[in-house]
Amino acid sequence: MNDFILSFENNFITDNRYLYLVQGLGTTLLITLFAAILGILLGFLVAIVRSTYDKTGKLKFVNAICNVYLTVIRGTPAMVQLLIMYYVIFASTSMSKIVVAILSFGINSGAYVAEIVRSGIMSIDNGQFEAGRSLGFSYPETMYYIIMPQAFKNVLPALANEFIVLLKETSICGYIGLMDLTRGGDIIRSRTYEAFMPLIAVAIIYLILVMIMTHFVKLLERRLRSSER
Amino acid sequence: MSDNTLFEIKGLCKSFGSGLVLDHIDTEIKTGEVVVIIGPSGSGKSTFLRSLNLLEMPTDGTITFEGQNITDKKLNLDKYRQKIGMVFQHFNLFPHMTILRNLTIGPIKLLGMSQKEAEKMAMQYLERVGLPDKASAYPSQLSGGQKQRIAIVRSLCMNPDVMLFDEPTSALDPEMVGEVLEVMKDLAKGGMTMLIVTHEMGFAREVASRVMFIDDGRIVEDNTPQQIFDHPQSERLKSFLAKII
Repeated sequence: MNDFILSFENNFITDNRYLYLVQGLGTTLLITLFAAILGILLGFLVAIVRSTYDKTGKLKFVNAICNVYLTVIRGTPAMVQLLIMYYVIFASTSMSKIVVAILSFGINSGAYVAEIVRSGIMSIDNGQFEAGRSLGFSYPETMYYIIMPQAFKNVLPALANEFIVLLKETSICGYIGLMDLTRGGDIIRSRTYEAFMPLIAVAIIYLILVMIMTHFVKLLERRLRSSER
Repeated sequence: MSDNTLFEIKGLCKSFGSGLVLDHIDTEIKTGEVVVIIGPSGSGKSTFLRSLNLLEMPTDGTITFEGQNITDKKLNLDKYRQKIGMVFQHFNLFPHMTILRNLTIGPIKLLGMSQKEAEKMAMQYLERVGLPDKASAYPSQLSGGQKQRIAIVRSLCMNPDVMLFDEPTSALDPEMVGEVLEVMKDLAKGGMTMLIVTHEMGFAREVASRVMFIDDGRIVEDNTPQQIFDHPQSERLKSFLAKII
């Protein structure tokens, strides 16, 4: 037991080493939050383009671009995308690493969000479209007032899952020299030559974050469902 | 074309792939008429009805509504559809909205009514169909018959010039058919122009001013209910009636 306390002190208290974890956590949360926002925006946009094409045959050209985007992003590892983003696309600019990471993860997440949302839109009975259109709502109005609220409710669990994946995936951003939570733990390990304490601490922090997210999604789901027993 | 002609349909065709579902339909619908459309399944009667508010785009022919060619590409389709009420077999109420919201969203967003005005009107209609206590319920809490009555009211709230009914009672349990037909009879008595695709022959005989028999994408007979049911002319209508009555 004494060993444990000594090890704890050595890894987190000495030289204020816990600050690596705190700062890293901040970076991880910052990247996850903004990448999620970007992912939602991109994903909804692409999903609407794709389902509009599926339903009406319009937007053929934009749909083709979206298809390329989905194929490339879903067909290559997020890690490779991040490295290309940093070492190729933004190599000659002075863009901050955080922004590069946000863009990279946001663009990556957008592809998955797009397919989730599209499946949600396509799962809504076509009669809902027809009812909206026959009342006199335009296509965008029908989407906005009638289809999207229902589709969103249906895909909420899948979307939440995507953001949990996103949170964990940001752990690779140490590869472009960012100090996120994972890298923070790693730095402590390199200082103390002890692996157990810092890595387990990092794992526990991720776990708690995911549990908090899961809890809020459950609350939201229950609230959305109460409107429709 | 006389003054009270609402729809004038000329050479209307619709094909899906290589199959011709509507084969040169010519007819007129006058204001105040209650036209019941009957025919075997797959005859094109629903397609005909749905092409009147362009849920199905005609492949050929013209539809004129109140003197305006609605197959014209330049037509504002959404404005046009506001004047055409449509009631579906499967109700298609919006499950994420309360009944009151289902009824008022159209008038508020499309006709520019205030929420207060729209809700007042909706409540009057709900009284008329006997469902004022359901205003704050959600569609999933209603029976099929109640849902269909609400769906009819939803269309009425847009103050349409004509109402289209696509097999409004076909998805209902038998004991709920009556309450929906009652509402429709009431509407007909009030002078609403109605086109109804249905298998309810008793209702057709009682309420229709005209009955159209469609088979194979053509209007085979178009006459008063007495003539259609008591003195069918064509063999096809005779055998159709023999099967269903």
